[in-house]
Amino acid sequence: MKCARCLLQLQCLRLVGQSARSAAQHGALLRSTSSSQPDMLHNTQVLRRFHGSPACAKRRPVPAEFINEDDKKRDKSLVTHDDLFEQVAKEVKTKATFNKVVDVFIKRDIRRRGHVEFIYAALKKMPEFGVERDLVVYNKLLDVFPKEVFVPRNFIQRMFNHYPRQQECGVQLLEQMENYGIMPNMETKVLLVQIFGEKGHPMRKYQRIMYWFPKFKHINPFPVPQQLPEDPVDLARFSLTRIANDLDAKVTVYQTHIHPDLCSFSLFSFLPVLTPGIQSPSQMQLLAQHSPSRPVFVEGPFPLWLRKTCVYYYVLRADPTPPDEKVEEPFDPERCLAFPLQLDLDLDRDFGDEESFDVEDLDEGPVFAMCMTSQGDQAVLNQWISGLQQNNPILGQVPTLFRLDAGPRELQGPADTESAHQHRTDPGPQREERQPEEDEEPRRSQGAKW
Amino acid sequence: TPKPPAQIRAPKSSTTLGKTLLYNSGFKGDLTDFKPAEVFPYPEIGNEEAEEISQLVAPVEKFFNEEVDSAKIDREAKIPPETLNGLKELGLFGIMVPEEYGGLGLSNTMYARLAEITSLDGSIAVTLAAHQAIGLKGILIAGNEAQKQKYLPKLASGEHIAAFCLTEPGSGSDAASIQTRATLSEDGKHYLINGSKFWISNGDMADVMTVFARTEVVVDGVKKDKISAFIVERAFGGVTSGKPEDKLGIRGSNTCEVSFDNVPVPVENVIGEVGGGFKVAMNILNSGRFSMGSSSAGMIKKLIEMTSEYAATRKQFNKSLGEFGMIQEKFALMALNVFVMESMAYLTAGMMDRPGLPDCSLEAAMVKVFSSEGGWICVSEALQILGGLGYTKNYPYERYVRDCRILPIFEGTNEILRMYIALTGMQYAGKVLTGKIKEMKKGNIGLALGMLGKKLKNSFGSSVDLGLTGKDGVVHPSLAESAKKFEQNVGLFGSTVESLLYRYGKTIVDEQLVLKRVADVMINLYAMTAVLSRTSRSISIGLRNHDHEVLLANTFCGDAFFKNNYLMTQLQKHSPENNDANIKKIAREVLEKRAYVCSHPLERTY
Repeated sequence: MKCARCLLQLQCLRLVGQSARSAAQHGALLRSTSSSQPDMLHNTQVLRRFHGSPACAKRRPVPAEFINEDDKKRDKSLVTHDDLFEQVAKEVKTKATFNKVVDVFIKRDIRRRGHVEFIYAALKKMPEFGVERDLVVYNKLLDVFPKEVFVPRNFIQRMFNHYPRQQECGVQLLEQMENYGIMPNMETKVLLVQIFGEKGHPMRKYQRIMYWFPKFKHINPFPVPQQLPEDPVDLARFSLTRIANDLDAKVTVYQTHIHPDLCSFSLFSFLPVLTPGIQSPSQMQLLAQHSPSRPVFVEGPFPLWLRKTCVYYYVLRADPTPPDEKVEEPFDPERCLAFPLQLDLDLDRDFGDEESFDVEDLDEGPVFAMCMTSQGDQAVLNQWISGLQQNNPILGQVPTLFRLDAGPRELQGPADTESAHQHRTDPGPQREERQPEEDEEPRRSQGAKW
Repeated sequence: TPKPPAQIRAPKSSTTLGKTLLYNSGFKGDLTDFKPAEVFPYPEIGNEEAEEISQLVAPVEKFFNEEVDSAKIDREAKIPPETLNGLKELGLFGIMVPEEYGGLGLSNTMYARLAEITSLDGSIAVTLAAHQAIGLKGILIAGNEAQKQKYLPKLASGEHIAAFCLTEPGSGSDAASIQTRATLSEDGKHYLINGSKFWISNGDMADVMTVFARTEVVVDGVKKDKISAFIVERAFGGVTSGKPEDKLGIRGSNTCEVSFDNVPVPVENVIGEVGGGFKVAMNILNSGRFSMGSSSAGMIKKLIEMTSEYAATRKQFNKSLGEFGMIQEKFALMALNVFVMESMAYLTAGMMDRPGLPDCSLEAAMVKVFSSEGGWICVSEALQILGGLGYTKNYPYERYVRDCRILPIFEGTNEILRMYIALTGMQYAGKVLTGKIKEMKKGNIGLALGMLGKKLKNSFGSSVDLGLTGKDGVVHPSLAESAKKFEQNVGLFGSTVESLLYRYGKTIVDEQLVLKRVADVMINLYAMTAVLSRTSRSISIGLRNHDHEVLLANTFCGDAFFKNNYLMTQLQKHSPENNDANIKKIAREVLEKRAYVCSHPLERTY
């Protein structure tokens, strides 16, 4: 008996866990938009509201305009609760301390006086405590509302906006969940029913969320995981496969040992630098067909944003083949042993059966490979190119030019910039065919002409 | 040597029926050019030949029934030497090699007849076919007298076994990916062959191989790589064969990789001209296919005997199995398929036996596609009749199913052959119709109106008169109904091909789904022709059970008529029956993901 009950409990727990997990997945969707604009989020608290009866509006002590007009007054109303959070969580702001604050509030007063203000304050403080994506915490916060008090009991109450401030607060809570992409669960629904009744505004809000969220859950065909890989090589591997979007492409990690005398400032002087690069068989083929008389370029850095992380990548590319150099493979009638590959007919496709769109094609020039490195100095990129050369022998004959921007360094700390600057002026280990700085300019203008 | 049947008019050109169908149906609307003489009456063999064949067939049949243990061959993945010796003694290694070179010197028709029996064991059939249908065929059709004198006698007796080495790791039908290279030695007396060939039947035991390799040829002062064919003896040295492949079926036949390492081949061993290997390869492949029709037919005839025995004795609910409709359907299906395959196979073989070496590659391809697919269905249904018993190794059905699975794959996959069938037809029809279509595109109202009228006529089901029925008709009146259906199909097919050419022009090469249907209609039409021709002859000369043939012929033609109509409806523009766009899209999305795309039905999002 006991055993069975335990099992049942365990199952329940697991269910809760699962729903929490799925809720976390939801968060993935909306995180970037919501988290990058915390102020907006705050504003919506009061600006977005449902229609209430004029009578209620009169009664309401904190109308919408307050947010901009009367900051002081609002602060005053919230000050005690904010203080509560600050007091309890002096040292660490974690989920445990957040829960503790909520518990303290619940126990302090049986009537839960000032719970609306408390919930608003708590909602505001959630990101600070890192619990803005925690469904359990939202449910706990919802649990602060006294039960059954705000449930309308007759049709008149139902017709008019019953306890508008409380309802609005509940909606606000759901809205914050929505903005963080947290999907409510059954517990949320039960709580909402207990607090506001089956047809209250928060319940409507809940229903709307439950209608749209599942529909939009997989709207992004290229989802970025909530937790990006910590290891820079893994992150680069992930980003490169994401950009290349080619199942055949292979990621190779190239290793560089930078000479200590080349970068005396750098912390990495004794460590091997790992440069993950990606190349697909078709890119290899393209590169093999590239005419050795025309140079290939290493360009970058280009930024790639993954949620809040920005990484930089470099590409190995060439200018498009000029039209007069393009060689079309001649048709070989002795190619296919079984059937004619071309018909010897003087008839073209009828206009009515032309299914391709008339798109003006702009030849962009092929990209042969990509790599990702945090240090875009030439030594590292050189190493990448020589690594590529193992599988692409043609790189030994083609002049390789570096067209590097100082891009990401501006974002780095001053010391970093300095060391990077050092690299650029240092004459690195270059192969004969590479004369980066001098050769670059005329080539570029030539490129522009093409 | 066999004499060609006297009553059949020799064709003026190499134009044969398949092309004629298209040519006529598309041409001008009048069909004066249809040559019923090509296929009517059904080709016959002379009395002498008939006697000869009955003398030959009996011992071969006896040998296969008594000496060949197919289960053991399958189990041990090897044909025992005594069985091979028996085959050699019967002369089965040189069926088509002329008597002057020590072979049996039989015609294509007789070869087809013997293939019916040899196919009772898949492994033996494939070994024999690899030896003579492709292995030594190069020497036979393109070799010079010296080569024939030197090699054919030993090959015909089976002392030497031949293999055909074309396929390479990277190439199926793509000649461009042949990497094996033959370079002329410094003294100019030898070619040195380097490279390796894959999936070579008889690769392990072959003594003489037809090998295709790239050679440098100077054409108009420009050096070019072209394919050449060589006769390579294992005795030349440097030939090694890999481990035999472990296959699903035809396990007794030997398939392996063969590598050539600086194999010196004397220059006189080049088949045909240097650089002319592509043509040689095509001719060999094209001529080797026709016998598959009779092979499948032979196999299914055997299966019908075995399964009907079972269906008659096995009781369920106090009824024998044969009394159940769904079982009856399977027997009818098998009988129909055998009948059509036989008809097609011997019609084609008969046409090939006519003087002047007519090119019947198109017909042979149609026979191959029809019989390999029909064979697969029939074997599977035969197994189904036995149910669980058929699935066990206690019965030979599972072996037949496994062996049969190779048919749609080898000697040109059915997909490739459908392309060949449809494109050959399209090329032919296109040559005739280009002028007319160009006129129409220019806006020639008279022509357009004429076409509209024709379309209207077709839509009312009126058919063209090919002269098959009526007073001077070549088709027997009992088949008049079927002949009318055939004529109607041909008429509709003509306008379908015309509109396809109008719509796609030469880009039709890329419309594989369209071409597949064109090929299917052509195959069905050819099958109908063969059936009508054969049955007319059977009735006219009073063959035993010809009434059953009439029944089969009418059933098949009725069936094929509706299939053709459906296929041609799908080929119309904006046809609601045509799902090609969706099919392509589904495939594209699946291939993009390289996996099944849908979420699991048990997954949830909330």
